[in-house]
Amino acid sequence: MQASRARLFKEYKEVQREKVADPDIQLACDDTNIFKWTALIKGPSETPFEGGVFQLVFSVPEQYPLQPPQVRFLTKIFHPNVHFKTGEICLDILKNAWSPAWTLQSVCRAIIALMAHPEPDSPLNCDSGNLVDVLFV
Amino acid sequence: MQNQEGQLAADGETEVTCGIEDWANFGGGGDGDVMQQQSSVPFVGDKEPLSALAAEYQSGSPILLQKIEMLGDKYVAIRRTRGDGNCFFRSFMFSYLEHILEKQDRVEVDRIKANVEECRKTLQSLGYVDFTFEDFFALFLEQLDDVLQGNETSISHEELLNRSREQSVSDYVVMFFRFVTSGEIRKRSEFFEPFVFGLTNTTVEQFCKSAVEPMGEESDHVHITALSDALGVPIRVVYLDRSSCDAGGVSVNHHDFVPVPGNLPSATGAGSESIDPFITLLYRPGHYDILYPK
Repeated sequence: MQASRARLFKEYKEVQREKVADPDIQLACDDTNIFKWTALIKGPSETPFEGGVFQLVFSVPEQYPLQPPQVRFLTKIFHPNVHFKTGEICLDILKNAWSPAWTLQSVCRAIIALMAHPEPDSPLNCDSGNLVDVLFV
Repeated sequence: MQNQEGQLAADGETEVTCGIEDWANFGGGGDGDVMQQQSSVPFVGDKEPLSALAAEYQSGSPILLQKIEMLGDKYVAIRRTRGDGNCFFRSFMFSYLEHILEKQDRVEVDRIKANVEECRKTLQSLGYVDFTFEDFFALFLEQLDDVLQGNETSISHEELLNRSREQSVSDYVVMFFRFVTSGEIRKRSEFFEPFVFGLTNTTVEQFCKSAVEPMGEESDHVHITALSDALGVPIRVVYLDRSSCDAGGVSVNHHDFVPVPGNLPSATGAGSESIDPFITLLYRPGHYDILYPK
């Protein structure tokens, strides 16, 4: 608990520093709870998401950073690896490929990369996955 | 391989007991097999006489029983670690810290600290953000200081065992080793590339991201080589499997992982005299435990 708090505080300070460096990501911590974060990410250019701003919610476990944060889209998004109803994201680094080398900021970057490069083979949204398969065969 | 590991991580603590019959099925080359244990096995177990190992195979392979008997010539005891994919790092952690605690080898502590600083620089030069690894480094260095006696924070052998069983310490030290291992593999990627490719068919970068840094990913000779090199600590691995020579004779093989001299900042004095590793691990396909020499 103490360790996760300390780590999140470092991430908080880093986010303040990085704000200018990465204009596509606005990561913010809840005023009263350092284990709750939200992010606004810009849809990557040359994708159907270009021009859109998408909101993510983070719930950070007490064992962070040994365990990954739980992240989901709050904004509705039609994407093969995102559950259309719950916003749940299918991304290996949020599951078994997680390591403490990742940060909340770099998770946001990975999600933007996923938006630009969907993995139709492991769909959470089958309709969207099939559509990608059909369109890009 | 990838799938298997994925399942392992996803299953977490839901491990099942593995019977003697299952052991008999483990061939010599089944490195991907996971020795599964009940989660009641602590991260680091108690020291047990070698006979405890023989008891596991009472009705099992005669080759294994013969080999365990031969182990008795050189080794007296075994200390098991939990089969959760971190067993190599966990065994190394306990074995190393226990050695320092018992020998009070301050020269070795100073030496490894210099290597740890090199590892820190390696990660920085590879672009890792300091705060992602510094807590893990700090915790390991703290354990090093604490096993040396005479400080206010010095700990007993019993306390070392307690800490090794406590997740907040044990997993952090395991993660420290994972960072060090990953940094070493990436730094010398041209050296490790063919081994990594032979093992997983992926790039060094992908391998480190998916098979070194995440907790619960099993270790192979690539991990052991990298950790031994990075920290400058020789490691002996004794192999216990059902393999036997063509002639029918049975012998217990071991392999010494000896750090490359060029990689040792402080290895000037050692020269090329034979190195006797003070860390000995017992490898059974898919699992590492600690062995105690006579």
